[in-house]
Amino acid sequence: MATDPIHQFQISRWIPIEVGGLDFSFTNSAAFMVATVVGAGAFLLLTTSSRGLVPGRMQSVSEMSYEFVASMLRDAAGTQGMRFFPLVFSLFMFILTANLIGMFPYFFTVTSHIIVTFALAMLVIGTVIVYGFMKNGFGFLKLFVPEGVPGVLVPLVVLIEIVSFLSRPISLSVRLFANMLAGHITLKVFAGFVTTMGAMGAVGVAGAILPLLMTIAITALEFLVAFLQAYVFAVLTCMYLNDALHPSH
Amino acid sequence: MTGFGNALRLSSEFIAGIAVGAALGWFVDRFAGTSPWGLIVFLLLGFAAGVLNVLRSAGLVAENGLRRDGGGGRQGE
Repeated sequence: MATDPIHQFQISRWIPIEVGGLDFSFTNSAAFMVATVVGAGAFLLLTTSSRGLVPGRMQSVSEMSYEFVASMLRDAAGTQGMRFFPLVFSLFMFILTANLIGMFPYFFTVTSHIIVTFALAMLVIGTVIVYGFMKNGFGFLKLFVPEGVPGVLVPLVVLIEIVSFLSRPISLSVRLFANMLAGHITLKVFAGFVTTMGAMGAVGVAGAILPLLMTIAITALEFLVAFLQAYVFAVLTCMYLNDALHPSH
Repeated sequence: MTGFGNALRLSSEFIAGIAVGAALGWFVDRFAGTSPWGLIVFLLLGFAAGVLNVLRSAGLVAENGLRRDGGGGRQGE
């Protein structure tokens, strides 16, 4: 397993559960999702439990993450958008914590499976569609008809807008999944070079310094990507929610 | 946002547009029996949607939903 870069993404059943012919097993993926939720929840609860007026170091980290997401949402969707703050904040913390937990060696990265990221993206788009229709009725469909388009072009533009709208959950989920998957594979491949070259005698050991440096650099890059992808997911969620709040032109 | 993040974002927007167009066309063909016209037409539409997605994320085309009270929420990107 040491040299197989794909092995780290394999799902294994920890507690097999089967209900009515369907597989509900508690897998390593499920276990790390639980760890993510517990970790993020415990961090926020414990760091804010002292409720200091002058926040300590850890409390200010919690407050910063709150302020960060709140200002992001207010910028993109206005003050009305703040009713979605629990959703956006939960998504941001879940993805960020899952990405960071995945950075531990031998840990499973939940967000490197497309079904997980796709479920998150469908949750966002589902919220946008349901809330958009609830709030605006059929006025929500104006989202697909841009203003100032010549009458002849309207059917074509509407079709393009619909395809563009449908591509949102795909781009949202593929981006997160592909980044985590590619990053972890690259990391593993370069780390594998170190051991392979190290077994080739003195010259190999000297040469192994290069992939080792590369591995260190990629690890740093992966931490950046872990944060960046959580941020991008949250920002786009805010922008899509803005469409549900204000679809008219 | 960093240039790296921007690059990843733009490319995935473009690819998603084409992928959704192709998938829609394939399903239309499958259920309406219009092969290969559905695929051709929707692939082209998907290409257009992909370009639209990219231009929109780059801020070169007005966003669909209004930014009246948002006020340029994407400046930081």
